[in-house]
Amino acid sequence: MQCKLVPSICSYCGTGCGLLFEVIDGKINSTLPMKTHPVNEGKLCIKGWNLHEHINSFMRLKHPLVKTFGRFIKTDWDEALQVTADRFKEIVAKHGPDSVGMLVSAKITNEENYLAQKFARAVIGTNNVDHCARL
Amino acid sequence: MNDRVKRWLEDGTVDLFLGYKMIMGHPLPHCFVKEKIEEVNDLIIGPARYSLEKIATHIAAVKPDIKIGLLARDCNQRALNVLYIWNQLNPENVRTVNVNCCPSNLKEHGDCSYLEHEAAGSFKRQVGIDNNLQPENIEGYGQSQRLSRWMYEFQKCIKCYGCRNICPVCFCQECSLEHRELVGTGALPPEIPIFHLVRAVHMAGRCIDCGLCEDACPVDIPLRLLYQKVNEIVSDVFDYKTGTGDSQSPFNILGDTVTLEPKPIQLAKTAN
Ligand code: SF4
Ligand code: SF4
Ligand code: SF4
Repeated sequence: MQCKLVPSICSYCGTGCGLLFEVIDGKINSTLPMKTHPVNEGKLCIKGWNLHEHINSFMRLKHPLVKTFGRFIKTDWDEALQVTADRFKEIVAKHGPDSVGMLVSAKITNEENYLAQKFARAVIGTNNVDHCARL
Repeated sequence: MNDRVKRWLEDGTVDLFLGYKMIMGHPLPHCFVKEKIEEVNDLIIGPARYSLEKIATHIAAVKPDIKIGLLARDCNQRALNVLYIWNQLNPENVRTVNVNCCPSNLKEHGDCSYLEHEAAGSFKRQVGIDNNLQPENIEGYGQSQRLSRWMYEFQKCIKCYGCRNICPVCFCQECSLEHRELVGTGALPPEIPIFHLVRAVHMAGRCIDCGLCEDACPVDIPLRLLYQKVNEIVSDVFDYKTGTGDSQSPFNILGDTVTLEPKPIQLAKTAN
């Protein structure tokens, strides 16, 4: 029997509430608000309260899948990334870099957002970058 | 305290101990075990309260025979009592280290002061309900004011279900707040006041007045006050004090039949 309370940050929105995952025998059993966290002071919204359900959901994608002839086929990361890169190259060659847009997110870190826009501008060559928090 | 917990873990009095530890600058609940006995040196009482007994019920649900030790403030002890009565925990498998609670006139040193609510702002004082009031203060408002003030509080609800999720004595498999025939479960805003009244009815004879729900409510609804009122009714009518007795509340909405037996004094009144 193992029981851990793991501090974390809610990844559902840009607020970034502090929370605790109650992990029993390796399975996240429930989510609790962190009472001393300066952002949420022991409160969460309904999304934060249910993070564990989202992690344990049977619908969650756990492996990269590549759509081949209309069906999703399980693959590894190397192949999935290669397929994506090849398809991007094809599209950019045929329709130009502005045919691609990049949507980033408040749910990922500042550094990941930076990398994503850098990738869009420097690698793909487009300024089509937008963000879910830019209302 | 730390030596006692070490001894318990070493001699097998308990298999694990739920207490608090500073982790990344936060006093967080932590599960201490024999394999990492040196961690017990860092066991603290912690200024922030969590429902350790609720964590214990989750552990016991996975492994019913496990022996659990935990730090218990007064509210934790009352909650444990309710959990024993309702068969959520086996008292033979639970050991507590009792610690200090809120400071009061009788007790200078308190490890916890979470029940003292921030003073209400002027708008809330005028149209809503100050969380620091007592049930008798509310009665002073008169019926129509009372209704409008409670409705002001209820309409702020974002239906996060935090009040239910954090509550140490909310353990029902099927929650009445998710029962379509009682409360609309769909979109926001929640159906008021029925959402809050359904919970209040369910908390009668169950709530141990720990105030965790009010702490967790993002919109500061004076939930504790509401449940104090329903418990007052249970206490007046049935002479039942939640968290102290050794029987289930006579006001029971679980099961097919409800046998309500008022306390003797009430019987006498009706007889007259
Ligand atoms: S709990 Fe709600 S408000 Fe807080 S970060 Fe998560 S989604 Fe945002
Ligand atoms: S005060 Fe709130 S959290 Fe505590 S037992 Fe009562 S309803 Fe549950
Ligand atoms: S914690 Fe407050 S806002 Fe959340 S559901 Fe309960 S009453 Fe509504």
